[in-house]
Amino acid sequence: MQLRLKHFAAGAALLAVAAAAAAATAGPVENLERERAIMLATLLDPNLAPGDRQAKVETAKARLADLERIVLRDSSLAGRNTPAVRRVFENYDLSFLVHAALEKNMAVVDVWFEQMGLTSANVLAARKGRK
Amino acid sequence: MTSLPSCPWRAGRRFLASLLVTSALVAAAPAASLAQAVGPSWQPQASERLVKLPPQYLKKSLDSDFADSELGVALRDTETKVRLKMQTLADLQGAIERADGEVRTELRHQFLAEKKAFIDTMNGKQELRRKHVKTRKQVLEAVLDRLNRESRADVSPARAQLVEKQKAARQRFESTFADVDLKLVSAMTTHESRYAREYAKNMASIQQLVDAVNAHPMNRNAEEDEGLSRADQIRRMIADSEAELALLEQEERALGYMAKLVALDAQGLAEEVEAASIGRDAPETPSLEAAVKVFVGSN
Repeated sequence: MQLRLKHFAAGAALLAVAAAAAAATAGPVENLERERAIMLATLLDPNLAPGDRQAKVETAKARLADLERIVLRDSSLAGRNTPAVRRVFENYDLSFLVHAALEKNMAVVDVWFEQMGLTSANVLAARKGRK
Repeated sequence: MTSLPSCPWRAGRRFLASLLVTSALVAAAPAASLAQAVGPSWQPQASERLVKLPPQYLKKSLDSDFADSELGVALRDTETKVRLKMQTLADLQGAIERADGEVRTELRHQFLAEKKAFIDTMNGKQELRRKHVKTRKQVLEAVLDRLNRESRADVSPARAQLVEKQKAARQRFESTFADVDLKLVSAMTTHESRYAREYAKNMASIQQLVDAVNAHPMNRNAEEDEGLSRADQIRRMIADSEAELALLEQEERALGYMAKLVALDAQGLAEEVEAASIGRDAPETPSLEAAVKVFVGSN
């Protein structure tokens, strides 16, 4: 049993090193995407109380704004034709959520819903029915 | 200087023959240069570094690489030899004007020999210059070729589309930055982020450096070419090399004429010396009048 635990600990340590290496090689685009995913997960988490959500979003917003600026100012990304770079510049409003929201005087979640085609009018106009 | 020949007449003839050969060689020099690829060399490569360099630095880099090369050293040595030969020719010309008699003939002979040596050296220099300009032209053409290939690869539709989108995103970001930043700072409960603070500080420093670079006198040369693309500037440098090659051809023709003149001078000198020598060796023929005197005076 003790031996098995030792093996498990060694495996876990290897995984941790591999994960750390992966994080170290992630570029600004990947970091932005990860941060944005965390922000959206926070916004859409039904288990969070409104106050907690607000606090978490405010903290994430500042970090996301910085990452958005880093990506937008990164000259090494100019013309770098990779799927990640193509995707991030495909839609400004969707990729640079915080900047788009502040520019439009909207909440981050509203910008995201709008970009996904989910406006309040759409939701209100939706009818319950059987498919 | 070459040593003086013992018999000016015979030596003059030998010298004339050698000069005729020299003038023929000078006339055929461009053709020979194509076949002759030996001697000191310079082998620069159209490396990635050269392709990336701004054209004004590309020229400097090529010049500096050439100066350190075997060919560059050989050309500098030949230029020194040409200068020395010019000095020798001027000295001899002065000495001829002051001398007379046999010494003058000897000096004229030596002057012609030095002229021949000068033409030979100049011919060698032209050969090295031609090699230099041709190599530089080849490298520039290779750099231009790589640049064109890269720019062709650069303008694939997908990449062009991406570049357009990035440009639009940056423009939108720049145009809304002040407003967005103000809203962000006022909405935030915490302080401004470290990135935002440091970035603003660094930007101020960078701006100062950019102003200093723009105001620097050495930057003026770069500004002159600002309107031209990199490919245009390299094409202009290739055209300059072509012009230099054409001028070299012209200079080689002038050298050919110089060699011909030296050959004619040598021919003239040889005939002059020969005539003088015949005049000195042949016994004087007595006139009939003198013979009459002998006949009349005897018993």
